[in-house]
Amino acid sequence: MKLIWKLLRRHVSVGQFVGFFFANLLGMLIVLLSLQFFEDIIPAFSGEDGVMKNTYVIISKHIAAISGIKGEAQTFTDADIRELEEQAFTRRVGAFTASQYQVYGSLSMGGSGMGTDMFFESVPDAFVDVKWPANLPADEVPIILPRSYLALYNFGFAQTKNLPKLSEGVVSMIAMDVRLRGEGGAERQLKGRVVGFSTRLNTVLVPESFMRQSNNELAPHAQAKTTRLIVEVVNPADDAIASFIQEKGYELEDNSLDAGRATYFLKIVAAIVMAVGLLISALSFYILMLSIYLLVQKNADKLQNLRLIGYSPARVSLPYQLLTIGMNACVLLLALVLVFWIRGRYLERLWLMFPTLQEGATGTTILLGIILFLLVSLLNIIAIRRKIATL
Amino acid sequence: MDKIILQQAIPQVFVGRTDIRSEVWLEHVQLERGKLYLIEAASGTGKSSLCSYLIGYRHDYQGQIVFDRRDIRTFSTSEWTLLRQRTLSHVFQELRLFPELTAWENVQIKNQLTHHKNDAEIVSWFEALGIADKRETPLSRMSFGQQQRVAMIRALCQPFDFLLADEPVSHLDAENSRVMGELMLAEARRQGAAVVVTSIGHHMDLPYDKVLKL
Repeated sequence: MKLIWKLLRRHVSVGQFVGFFFANLLGMLIVLLSLQFFEDIIPAFSGEDGVMKNTYVIISKHIAAISGIKGEAQTFTDADIRELEEQAFTRRVGAFTASQYQVYGSLSMGGSGMGTDMFFESVPDAFVDVKWPANLPADEVPIILPRSYLALYNFGFAQTKNLPKLSEGVVSMIAMDVRLRGEGGAERQLKGRVVGFSTRLNTVLVPESFMRQSNNELAPHAQAKTTRLIVEVVNPADDAIASFIQEKGYELEDNSLDAGRATYFLKIVAAIVMAVGLLISALSFYILMLSIYLLVQKNADKLQNLRLIGYSPARVSLPYQLLTIGMNACVLLLALVLVFWIRGRYLERLWLMFPTLQEGATGTTILLGIILFLLVSLLNIIAIRRKIATL
Repeated sequence: MDKIILQQAIPQVFVGRTDIRSEVWLEHVQLERGKLYLIEAASGTGKSSLCSYLIGYRHDYQGQIVFDRRDIRTFSTSEWTLLRQRTLSHVFQELRLFPELTAWENVQIKNQLTHHKNDAEIVSWFEALGIADKRETPLSRMSFGQQQRVAMIRALCQPFDFLLADEPVSHLDAENSRVMGELMLAEARRQGAAVVVTSIGHHMDLPYDKVLKL
């Protein structure tokens, strides 16, 4: 083997192999890094509670001065909903159902108490970004508040009144008294417990089943009207959504479309970067194959002579195969080291932006690296073997 | 392997020519294990082609070449590899040595494959052929005659039933030529093998069983 290597290392072009090495390293690095970055950043965008999880938009009808007074035309009819469901950009549509009875919530803390008139709304459970707890006592109703309410209290109200700031955990421990009053003086006394905060839904939310049951019980004759719809869309960057909404004279709540666009944009960028990485990898593989072919060609006489004195194609291929596998393995290791080093750097910055961000998994990246390594090495082995067999 | 048989074989380039006067081409020739053959050829009669066909390097001939009972066109790559390791040894006219290796390494590269001879035997051959002092010399710095001797030693470092020596002594003087002939024959006899020597004039003086004109 030593002698064979002594023979076959002739014409090994260090320049070409260094070129391949760095090209392949760059390609591998880009592919693995873009994947890892995507894995790390995507929870911030698309997690259950992600800042920008928004393939959902909330639609209401425009409130004009006249119609507001007359109380008409602000509700969605069944035909409106069906039309919306039929749009190509729509995945599903859920209606907000409002309570048809009065709600009075009060809170007593150490003797002093405060209370307010309020309302409940519900949407189908599939649209809620917080999980409803199972098995609550019958006299307790779970409530989800918009996260912005908490921020409004903490940074607006509490700040100026020198009141304590409340964390989500603390709020969840408070049980408030809720009194529902319906038609003909029918009343129901409940405990309300805040079970979560929603970034998606800007309302005081109760489970749909509770809403149905309480509306039936307390306002059996009232007709529930749909004033707002939540729509899950296929692609929030779709222009058709904006033009449809404009055409129908609907209104879009906050800037949910922009957030959705950001996620979509991020996905596209990650895909493009990864594609570029793969392209570079493919090109570097091509460089390697060319230089190996050139090497084989330059050493063709030697390889042929070895074959004629009884060496098998497998045995004369081995040195070049080991050479390429060794290089590919070095590339893989170095690429992984670099990826994790760079990752350490950007995670620090990400945590500044998204303090609650969880690290993404690294398994996929390592696995992809190994798959790329095996694939490239296997192709190398086959190509070298084939090339030498043709001599 | 006991027999090499050529049946109506002829290089493709000679097909259609009417002036072929050969005892090999287009004839039925049988070479048998244990015997000593000389194939005499003039230039351009296809001597190197014949050797290339027999070692499985070229296949541009018509007719049939048969080893024992198998047409050699049916041999697979791995069968050829095994044949070249164990059955058929060849001293190439163009030597096919490796100039970047020393004389010793050129022999070792074969012997490491076959493990047929020990170092002492190989050293004794170097001595007998008068190139003992050249063992560590890069081949590129040796004369063609010296290289021919290295090529012969390499060819003997394997088991064989047939030894094909293509003009092995073209650049050797009579004395070295005699020594090489003896050495080659001794090894062939020990293995019970046949030797096929080709020549375009200057040839080893050996007790040939048969002389064929190509």
